[in-house]
Amino acid sequence: MASRWFKSTAAAAVLLSAAALSGCSGSSSTSPSNATESRPAGQPVTIEFWGAAIGQEKAVDVFNAAHTDVQIKYTQISAGSAGGYSKMLNAVNAGNAPCLGQISYDTVPSFAASGSLEDITDYAKDSKDQYSPAAWQLSSLGGHVFGIPTDLGPMALFYRTDLFEKYGIAVPTTWDEFASAAKTLQAKDPAAYLATFPLNTYDVGALSWQAGGQWFGTENDAWKVSINDDASKKVANYWQGLVKDKLVVAEPAFDTAWYTSLQSGRILSYVGAAWSGALLEKNAPGLKGKIAVAEVPQWNKGEHASGNRGGGAYSVLKGCKNPKEATEAAVWLTSNADSVTTLVKNTGLYPASVSGQKLPAVTAGSDFFVNGSKTAEIFTTAANNTPDKWVWGPNMTSLQPKMNDGLKLVGAGQGTVPDLLKSVQDSTVADLKSQGLSVKE
Amino acid sequence: MKAPTLPAQQLVETGTTTTKPRKSRLGRRTTRSALLFLVPFMIMFLSMKMAPIFYAIYQSFFKTERSGLGVGSAKSLFAGFENYFTALQNSDFIASFGRVFLIGIIQVPLMLTIALFLALLLDSAFSPFKRGFRLIYFLPYAFPGVIAAIMWSFLYQPNIGPFSGWLSAIGLDVNFLANNTVFFSIGNMMTWGFTGFNMLVIYSALQAVPEELTEAASLDGAGWWATAWHIKIPAVRPAVILTAVFSIIGTVQLYNDPAILAKVAPGISSTFTPIMAAQQQTAANNYNLGAAQSVILALVALVLSFGFLKFTQRKGADS
Repeated sequence: MASRWFKSTAAAAVLLSAAALSGCSGSSSTSPSNATESRPAGQPVTIEFWGAAIGQEKAVDVFNAAHTDVQIKYTQISAGSAGGYSKMLNAVNAGNAPCLGQISYDTVPSFAASGSLEDITDYAKDSKDQYSPAAWQLSSLGGHVFGIPTDLGPMALFYRTDLFEKYGIAVPTTWDEFASAAKTLQAKDPAAYLATFPLNTYDVGALSWQAGGQWFGTENDAWKVSINDDASKKVANYWQGLVKDKLVVAEPAFDTAWYTSLQSGRILSYVGAAWSGALLEKNAPGLKGKIAVAEVPQWNKGEHASGNRGGGAYSVLKGCKNPKEATEAAVWLTSNADSVTTLVKNTGLYPASVSGQKLPAVTAGSDFFVNGSKTAEIFTTAANNTPDKWVWGPNMTSLQPKMNDGLKLVGAGQGTVPDLLKSVQDSTVADLKSQGLSVKE
Repeated sequence: MKAPTLPAQQLVETGTTTTKPRKSRLGRRTTRSALLFLVPFMIMFLSMKMAPIFYAIYQSFFKTERSGLGVGSAKSLFAGFENYFTALQNSDFIASFGRVFLIGIIQVPLMLTIALFLALLLDSAFSPFKRGFRLIYFLPYAFPGVIAAIMWSFLYQPNIGPFSGWLSAIGLDVNFLANNTVFFSIGNMMTWGFTGFNMLVIYSALQAVPEELTEAASLDGAGWWATAWHIKIPAVRPAVILTAVFSIIGTVQLYNDPAILAKVAPGISSTFTPIMAAQQQTAANNYNLGAAQSVILALVALVLSFGFLKFTQRKGADS
């Protein structure tokens, strides 16, 4: 009796622990990037690819159908700021990272500076001319290439045509006109606002970029930090003025309340990137046929400068056994007509490749907008007029929360944007120095 | 040759034979099978709980060194307690402890008082629909924390939430997300979510109070309140202390509610609570400092919960 009982308990325990063990190994078996290391001849190279953009896997399918020697295995991960980047960094630290990762431009330098990216200059340099210069600059650092540009976020002005007409407001072409239009609107309807205060670091970055500012740069193996440069100060003072006169809504864009405000006519316009169009279309369906796209207001009349908000690259993560194949796959995914068309249609991105920007999928536009057929032209002009000197710093992940915290407070009436730029400038320099990086102020 | 076998032979002859050895062998068998059952747990516990803790402690004693642009490989160097000094000198990190302390010192006693009161109500004989109410009070706890936080973030927003409208209808202008009120808003979320759980723990303890005691009390003419105050509450004291310790640990680890509200509340910075501060360092790829902050946080939770236990035990011994 006793021994039978013992046997059955032992068997049960072994089964349980086996289940527990397989549970452990199950989680780690998702990333056997070393599987390609010693492949038998004739077998295709498998490139693992982690990305966050929803719908991106369809382009991977197109790639796999067109290739026999290289196959991509796509894994959907959460967005970078929502844990995707931590996941990638953890995988790199653990030595089982995928070959390709989707990384936004602002994070590419952080990844490169933490030694988490492969330098793919040798494999990628011949592809340079296929991409918008600003995009190529954004995924390179100190002359080294750390990613193949995927998309860009050229900025434009989204505005309610019906309400502009109702209040008799002309589409502002300069920032001065924009400010006076905001005043006019307030006078006519105190409950309505023309502008949304940029509550995000990358909005402020894009606006400074458009004004000719340059927060980061590299010079002789040292970082140059100039978050507080004259152009950025000009932008900061301008928005501070709007905040002071209570002409802006300080609510986070793309939040439920914000979409509600746009549709109810409480907010009349938004300065946003090309990809905002797809989000508006999806989340504010009531605006169909009521909203149009125009060029971003300019600092000087007659100019056509724009800033870039968002976009990113496919980078090769450290430890990849096939960096050459991975780079080639990234180039194909981001420049091949079929692949880019699939990406545009499924993810709503604006391509970084020059040929991609001319594809029918981009130029056709959407009938969601009043001037749908002209939107592509506006975005392409913006993309080509985005200053191409801008690079992001290697510590955006610590800069961004500091600036976001400050912007939220400014929006709530505490502190000012110019003061914030100054304090972020100081803390960023201190942060870089504490990491042992060379800094030139 | 014969001598060594003698005792065994004697045993067999006397009939006491194997009873004693068999008993101990059985005991060994039960221990062995118990251990076997524990194996899966131990594997998971060691690999998922203990290993990360030790790894975090290990990591907190190192620092990463880079040079130039930082491109290329970074070096990991032993740093001693440097990360701990950095963390303790970081005003954002220290302030985050102040905030959770402020929230906890008000919220925990308030929540436990409500939980105790509800448990006493349910336990009293004249409460009808006991099971229904027990479920209703407990229900908020069944909401996943993040979902509840998202729900509250909608309810609090002046433009889409209902409360601000209702309050302004009676002449009160309340912004639940303003810098000062947000503390109460978070406290409210915590109270809403955990009162039911604590009530259930206390209620279970109340079930164990012998009926004779309460009967005797009512025979002596004690009312509901007197019975509760003199008999029931002293009887459930250990359960209340237990819920207090849970609540202290939970408050120190506050994360979900403020992290989700942060998007809409200007006053909630990215380093609002200690966990958020540690997480921000990790997200910024400063694993070593993040690890040091986590270890400090764990120590504070340990000191506070054990300190509270010691304090209440001493008080219990005194009285």
